[in-house]
Amino acid sequence: MIKQSSNQSDDLNETPLISGISHAQQAAITRVIARAGQLLQAYNAESRLIEQTTERLGIAFGLDSVEIALTSKAIILTTRFGDNCITTTRTMKAHGIDMGIVCEVQRICILAEKKIYDVQQIKQRLDNLDVPKHNAVVVACFVALSCACFSHLFGGDSIIFICTWFTSFIAMRIRQWLTQLHHNLLTVFFITAFTATFIGSFASALGWGNEPELIMVTSVLQLVPGFPLINAVSDMVKGHVTIGMARWMTATLLTLASALGVVLAVQLAQQGGWL
Amino acid sequence: MRELLLILVDDAVFAGIAAFGFALLFNVPRQALLACVLFAASAHAVRTILLHVNVPIEWASFIAATLLGLATVPWSRKVVIPRPVVTVAAIIPMIPGVYAYKTMTGLMTLHHQGYSVELQQQVVENGLLTIFILIGLSFGLAIAPVLVYRNKPIV
Repeated sequence: MIKQSSNQSDDLNETPLISGISHAQQAAITRVIARAGQLLQAYNAESRLIEQTTERLGIAFGLDSVEIALTSKAIILTTRFGDNCITTTRTMKAHGIDMGIVCEVQRICILAEKKIYDVQQIKQRLDNLDVPKHNAVVVACFVALSCACFSHLFGGDSIIFICTWFTSFIAMRIRQWLTQLHHNLLTVFFITAFTATFIGSFASALGWGNEPELIMVTSVLQLVPGFPLINAVSDMVKGHVTIGMARWMTATLLTLASALGVVLAVQLAQQGGWL
Repeated sequence: MRELLLILVDDAVFAGIAAFGFALLFNVPRQALLACVLFAASAHAVRTILLHVNVPIEWASFIAATLLGLATVPWSRKVVIPRPVVTVAAIIPMIPGVYAYKTMTGLMTLHHQGYSVELQQQVVENGLLTIFILIGLSFGLAIAPVLVYRNKPIV
């Protein structure tokens, strides 16, 4: 154990962690574990990963066990040491998908397991997570390129490829802008799908490329909720049925919101007479 | 034979680029990006080969996802990164997005234009295809932790 000088950590170092843990120490450890679990859940990690990571952190800090109950909106965990139990609840504030943070929390967990960091250091690292984000314009360029690649995989020619790139680039920029303004995810998906289809409908109306419809279909593919869907099924397979259902429903709602956007744009185009 | 090879290369390249875009969107860390692209490209190519020999698409997706899941285990151990970080982005090119949207827009047209058997047939067919491919993909990914590494953490 590394001795800490600050007052806050005095309670952590009054006795070595291996032989016994005081109530105050256990509470501090519980707070750190809850923070790690909360981060993992907020950034869309799989339930099994949250369960394993919190449990491993608890064992690494010398606790007997960590029991965790996950709901789609909160995380409830109990740490046990001897006859002492501490239970705490954290609500989940969804932050979207960020695998960088999930990796970082996992790495911190392994550092704790190898006894490289103590509780105080882990707490500091979790509080000051510094995960670089990719540049927004670059991300938009490559997501648009992804959609363009989909159009190629579905048999579009090079004109379709370029048109899809432009359409989905604009849609993606709008999506990033709306996300930045902290809009509801469903609204973001609805508006993005609407813009993508609306812009795409002009290209389709002009009859560019071999299959003009493809521009409209594939530029919306950036909105496919792949993460919630895969997480939903893998949660259900591993026994977290309720949370899996919640994720599946989220994914369905997101698909529905984007489909609504698509339908509205198509109907507008048909009313306008260019489709 | 040469044509098949060309199709495969084309397929793998474009699937790889598609996965790269989504990996950036999910903020996958730099050191995992290349692996993500390679896994995505090879998984998609495997599925295309299977489709070429007339395996149904849901089984082809399942087998491709299983192989992807097993292949990521040694990699994930080596670089200490949890598997979902790469597997989900790598599987995105295989997700039946077009079928899902056709199902949803079909449902809405069904409401808008009134009931017709052809429309309902399209909705049911596309919907079933979406669900079965998705289940195939995610069960495939779950094979490695569920069957091989029962309750032990992989990383």
